[in-house]
Amino acid sequence: MTDRRRINAPSGGTNAPVFVNPATPADSLASQRPTRTRAPDELRKIFLKTGLVPLASGSAYLELSPPSAPPTKTLTPSRTSLKLTCAVHGPKPLPRSAPFSPHLILSTTVKFAPFATRARRGYIRDSTERDLGVHLETALRGVVIGERWPKSGVEVIVTVIEGEEDGWWGDGLVGGSSGAGGGGWGLMSVLAGTITVASAAIADAGIDCVDLVSGGVAAVVRDVDAKGKGKTEEGLQEGESLVLDPCPAEHKDMVAACVVGYLAGRDEITEIWMKGETGGAADVLLDKAVHAAVASVTVVKEAVKESIEQKYKDVLSSGQGGFRGPNITKEVEMTG
Amino acid sequence: MSAPPLLDFALPGQPLGPTSKYTPGPGTHIYESVIHASISGPVVSTHAAPTSTTSAKSSKPLPTLSITRNPPPNPSSFLRGGASVLPEVDSVVLCRITRLGARFASAEILVVGELVCREPFSGMIRREDVRATEKDRVVIREMFRVGDVVRGVVLSLGDQSNYYISTAKNEYGVVMAWAHVEAGEGAGGAAKRAMYPVSWKEVRDPVTGVVEGRKVAKPF
Repeated sequence: MTDRRRINAPSGGTNAPVFVNPATPADSLASQRPTRTRAPDELRKIFLKTGLVPLASGSAYLELSPPSAPPTKTLTPSRTSLKLTCAVHGPKPLPRSAPFSPHLILSTTVKFAPFATRARRGYIRDSTERDLGVHLETALRGVVIGERWPKSGVEVIVTVIEGEEDGWWGDGLVGGSSGAGGGGWGLMSVLAGTITVASAAIADAGIDCVDLVSGGVAAVVRDVDAKGKGKTEEGLQEGESLVLDPCPAEHKDMVAACVVGYLAGRDEITEIWMKGETGGAADVLLDKAVHAAVASVTVVKEAVKESIEQKYKDVLSSGQGGFRGPNITKEVEMTG
Repeated sequence: MSAPPLLDFALPGQPLGPTSKYTPGPGTHIYESVIHASISGPVVSTHAAPTSTTSAKSSKPLPTLSITRNPPPNPSSFLRGGASVLPEVDSVVLCRITRLGARFASAEILVVGELVCREPFSGMIRREDVRATEKDRVVIREMFRVGDVVRGVVLSLGDQSNYYISTAKNEYGVVMAWAHVEAGEGAGGAAKRAMYPVSWKEVRDPVTGVVEGRKVAKPF
C-alpha cells in the first residue's frame, strides 16, 4: 500500500554518501569492518529505564550501545545501536463496537521510525513490522494474567528509534559474501529488545503478570579467519561458533539465529523464532538464546525496582511502613 | 518454625511465601502452591480479623499477603492522570449522567471507590435499578438530569459496553445537581447553580426556589 497522504522522501538510504577511494578500492574498506570485541557469551550493555512517557500508564526505553568504536574515515557508523521505546496504554475500556470480553485484550504494535534503518521506512506499518507485532503479542500473551482485567484492553506500542541492520553496510560496496546482507538478521535482535522493553513497560503499568519475560538472542556465526577455532559445541560445522546477542554488522556470515521470550522464574518459553541452517545445533542454539534472556532479565529487574522506588519515594523517605529499600539516586550502568 | 522475613518490594513472578502459611490477596497468584507476586510494589501482610467465624476451625487465621497496586499520590503520579482501576461488582462509584432514555440513564463512571479513573467507563442506570420501592412507577426524567453527579453501586459488569449501576438504596443517588440557568439571566454569574436537597426526591434552586425531582442520595 502506498502512502498518499504525505510527501514522502525517496525510498532508499538517506545517510550521507560514502565515497570509496578508487585508488585503494576494496582493501581499505574491508579493513574498516567492525569485529566483535566482547566475549562470545557476553551481551552488549543494556540501558533500560521506565516511566518516560508521562501520559502512558507504563513506558520504558531500551538502548543497546555498541562498544566505543575506533575512529573511522567515514561519517557512517560501522555499528548500529538498538534504541527502542515502549508505551503501554491501559487497561482502559474497550471501544463501543468491541464485543464483551471476560479478559484483557492485548494489542501490540511495533513500528520502525522512518529514520530507524539505512533503508528508509514508510509511515504505514509494513509486513515485517506487523510480523514483529504478532511475535511480540505471542511473547506477552503467556505472561499477562488477563482474567484480572475483564472488559478492558491494553495497547503495547513499541517504536524502534534506531534498528539493527541486517549486515555491515560496507558489504554492499565491497561485494563480498551475500550471506550477511538482507537476511533479516537484524530483526532478531530487534524482537529480543522489543520483548524486553515491553516487559518492563507492562510491569511499570501495573498489569498483572506471572513473571517478568525477557528476550534473548543467540546465533551461529561462521568466521573465515577462525579456522579450527569453532566446533566446541555439538553439531556445529568447521569454523562455526555460537555467540550471544549477535550484532550482524560484526559477523560476515551468520548461519542461524534464535530469539526466545523466556520466563526465568518459571523456566518457561513463551516465544521462539529460529531462522537459518541450524543443522544439528538447534538445541544448543536455543539454550544459548535462553542464556541471553536470563542475562537480560536482570536488567529488567533492576529497572522495575528503580521505578517502584521512584513511585514510593514519599513513603520511603517518611519512613512509615518500614520500607528499608535503598534509595537509588544516581544512575546505575547496567550490564547484562 | 517461623516464616521467612517478608520482602519490602516484590517484582512480578517473585515467590512470597507458601500457601500453608499465607493466603493470597490482591496482586498475587499461586503457582506450585507458592504465592507469587503478580505486580511490582510493596508487600503487605494483613491479619484477618480474629472475630471471623472461620477462626473456629483453625487455631489462628493465616495472614493475607497482598501487593499495593496504586502508589500514594505524589507529583509524579498526578502527571500520570489517575490510577489504573476497574469497576467491580459491589464497588461504589461516582458517575456523571450523560444521557437520559425512557428506560435507562447513561452515565460515565469517574471514580471507583477512592480512586479516580484514568478514563471514564460507560455505565447505565436502568429504570428498575433507580430505587427499591415503586419500581414500576419510576420516570427517569424525574430522577436524573444530564450533568448530575450520582453515587451508585455496580450491579454487574453488564453488556459489551455498559456497566450496570444501581441507586436502589438510601445512600445512593444524586449527590450534586445543578439548575439550568437561562442565558442572560445570571449576568456574569456561573453558567450553572448548585441545588440543595430538600427531600429524598426533590432538590431546590437556592435563587429561584424552583423545585426539581431527583433521586437524592442521603447526606452523610
